Amino acid sequence: MTLQGDTPRFSEGFVEADGFRIRYMAAGEGLPLVHLHGAGGTRLTPVHNLLARQHRVIAFEMPGFGRSAENTRTTSTAALAETMGTAIRALGIERCNLWATSFGARVALWLAARQPALASALVLEAPAAIRLAGQIPPSGSPEEIARMIYAHPERQPPMPAPDPAAQIQARAFVMRVRGPDREADLEAAMRRMETPVLVLFGTRDALMPPELGRYYKEMLPNGHLVFVYDAGHAISTERPEAFVEVTGDFLERHEAFVINRVGTVKYP
Amino acid sequence: MKVSYFETGRYIVPADMAREWPVPPAAYDPAIGAEACRGMVERVQFVERVGFDWISVSEHHYSPRILTPSPVVSAAWIAAHVNTIKIALLGPIVPTSNPIRIAEELAMLDTLAPGRFVFGLLRGTTNEYLSYDLNPAEARERTDEGMELILKAWTEPQPFGWQGRYFQYRTVSLWPRPQQPPAPTYVLGTSAEAGSFAARHHLGLGVSYGNLDSMSRATGYYRQQCAQYGWSPGPDDIVWRANMILGETDDAAETALARRDKQAPFPVRAGLRDALISADTTRNIAGQSQRANVGGVLPISFCGGPDRVVDQIRQAREQIGVGVLDLSLTDPGTGDMDAMMEGLDLFGRTVLPRIREI
Repeated sequence: MTLQGDTPRFSEGFVEADGFRIRYMAAGEGLPLVHLHGAGGTRLTPVHNLLARQHRVIAFEMPGFGRSAENTRTTSTAALAETMGTAIRALGIERCNLWATSFGARVALWLAARQPALASALVLEAPAAIRLAGQIPPSGSPEEIARMIYAHPERQPPMPAPDPAAQIQARAFVMRVRGPDREADLEAAMRRMETPVLVLFGTRDALMPPELGRYYKEMLPNGHLVFVYDAGHAISTERPEAFVEVTGDFLERHEAFVINRVGTVKYP
Repeated sequence: MKVSYFETGRYIVPADMAREWPVPPAAYDPAIGAEACRGMVERVQFVERVGFDWISVSEHHYSPRILTPSPVVSAAWIAAHVNTIKIALLGPIVPTSNPIRIAEELAMLDTLAPGRFVFGLLRGTTNEYLSYDLNPAEARERTDEGMELILKAWTEPQPFGWQGRYFQYRTVSLWPRPQQPPAPTYVLGTSAEAGSFAARHHLGLGVSYGNLDSMSRATGYYRQQCAQYGWSPGPDDIVWRANMILGETDDAAETALARRDKQAPFPVRAGLRDALISADTTRNIAGQSQRANVGGVLPISFCGGPDRVVDQIRQAREQIGVGVLDLSLTDPGTGDMDAMMEGLDLFGRTVLPRIREI
C-alpha cells in the first residue's frame, strides 16, 4: 500500500438533518465508510484518499464545526449521534462502517449503541470516549497544535491556518457537549455492544494516553485494541499506510482480522 | 559501586584453530564445549563466593570467543546453580529476534526466580546481523520498535495488537507476566537513540568498551535526556562493561598488558568487515557518528595493581556516573583460564572491599 497512485476526487455535498444543514465530503465506491472527525473539525488528509480506493468515504462536518452555523441546540454527544444517524440515513444509507476520531468516538459509540442496525463495524482512532481528569482538546497556533497531536511534527506539512472564529466556536461546542470524563450510561452500553470495534492508539499519543486503550478492550465484548507504533494522536495522518492496512482488514473480516493471511514463501 | 562478572562460556581454543569469524562448525569439539559449560558453573559459583553483585551473560554467534548464542538459556542454567547473586542478561539482541519471544522468555525468567534477574536490551554488534540475516541499515529502527513492543507486552493488562513499521501482531497477551514492575531493565548502547529511549521509559543505560571520554559523553547525553523527562538516574542506572587487567603490582599488570594479543581473537575477513562497516552507518556516541567495530580489538579500560585500579574506578564513577561495573578480567576468547581465576581472586581480595563506598 502506498500513498502514490490514483485517488478518487472528493466532492462536497450537503444534507439536512434535525434542522441542520450538514456539509460532507465524499469519494469512492463500495460499502459506505462514514468519518466522524475530532474536536479539530473536518480536514481531508492523504488517508481519506487511500481509504476512498476501497470504500465510499463520507467525511461529515458535524453541526457546530467548520463552516456550519453555531450549534446551540445539541446538548450532548448522544444527541449529536441521533442527528448524525439521521444525516446518514438522509443520504440513503441503511448500513455503513463508522470511523471516528478522538471527540467523534463518543458520538460513534452512542450511534452504534442506539442504532445497532446502522453500524456494521466501528474504527475508533485515538478515541476520547474515556478521558483522564483534566484532559482538554488542544488549542493554540497551528504549530502548537501540531506539537500536541503529532509524535513527529517535523515530518508533517504545515497545518492549514484555521479560521479563528470557527475554532473558538467549535471548541466552545465541544466543551459544552462532550460530557463527563467517564459516562456511566455510555460505558454500560459499551459492555452490551455486539458491534465489532477496532480501537487504535498511537504509542506516542501525548493527548490521549495509549494506556486508556485497555478500558475499551475490557468493556467492549467484540472490541480489539491495536497500538500503532510511533504515532501520536493523529494516527491516520502520521502512519497512513499502517492505519489503512489494519482498518481495511478489520472492516473486511471483523474479528477474523487477527488471523494472518499474508504469505511468507520467498522462492517457491 | 557494584561489580558484575561477565561470563562468556570459555571455550579453550586449540592453537591450530582457524582464527576467522565465522568459525567452521567442523572445528567444534564437544568435549571442549562441555568443559566450557562445566567451567561456567564453577566460575559463577566462585564469583558469588568472592562477593560479586551480578553475573552477566551476552548473545554472540558463530565462534568460540563467546559461547552463549542464547543468553536466556545461559541465564536459566546459571540461576539454577547460584543462590543470591543477580544474573544480568546484557542482553538479547532485539533487532534480529521476535520481540514477543524475548518478552515471554524474560518474563519467564522473572517468574522462575523473582528479583534475581537484570535485563538489558541490545542492538547488537554489526557482524551478529549476519547470523540471523538482518539488513544492518534497519537494525536501529528495529531495535527501537522491538524494545517498545517488549515493554508494552510486559505491562499491558489486556490483549492487544501491534501495527508497527517492522513488526505486526494482531494478538499479544503475555503469560506468564513478569513481576510488576518487571526486573530492572537497561537499554544497552552509547547512541543518542539508546540514551533517549532509556530516558523516556525510565530505564537504565548500559555502555561498553570505550574510553572515559566517550563513555561519559554517552551517559551525559542520557542524563540530560532523563532531565528532560523529569527524572534523574542514580548510579545503579548506569552500567559499564569493560576489560580490566589487574596485577599484584602496576608493573605486573603492565607486563600482562604488553603480552596481550594485539589482534582480535576471531576477526572478520577484511573485505567482509569493510562491507559491514559501510552497511552499518547509524552508529553514534551521543549523536556523534562513530564507525562500527566489526570484530576488532576491544580496549582495556582498567590496568594496574590494586591501588591504581581503585583510583581508576573512582574516576569512572566521577566521570561516567557508573554504579555497576561489568568486568572481564582477561579478554574473552583468549582462553588463559589460570590468569583469569587469579585475577578474579585478586580482585575479590584487594579491590572489591575498597570500592564499595565509591
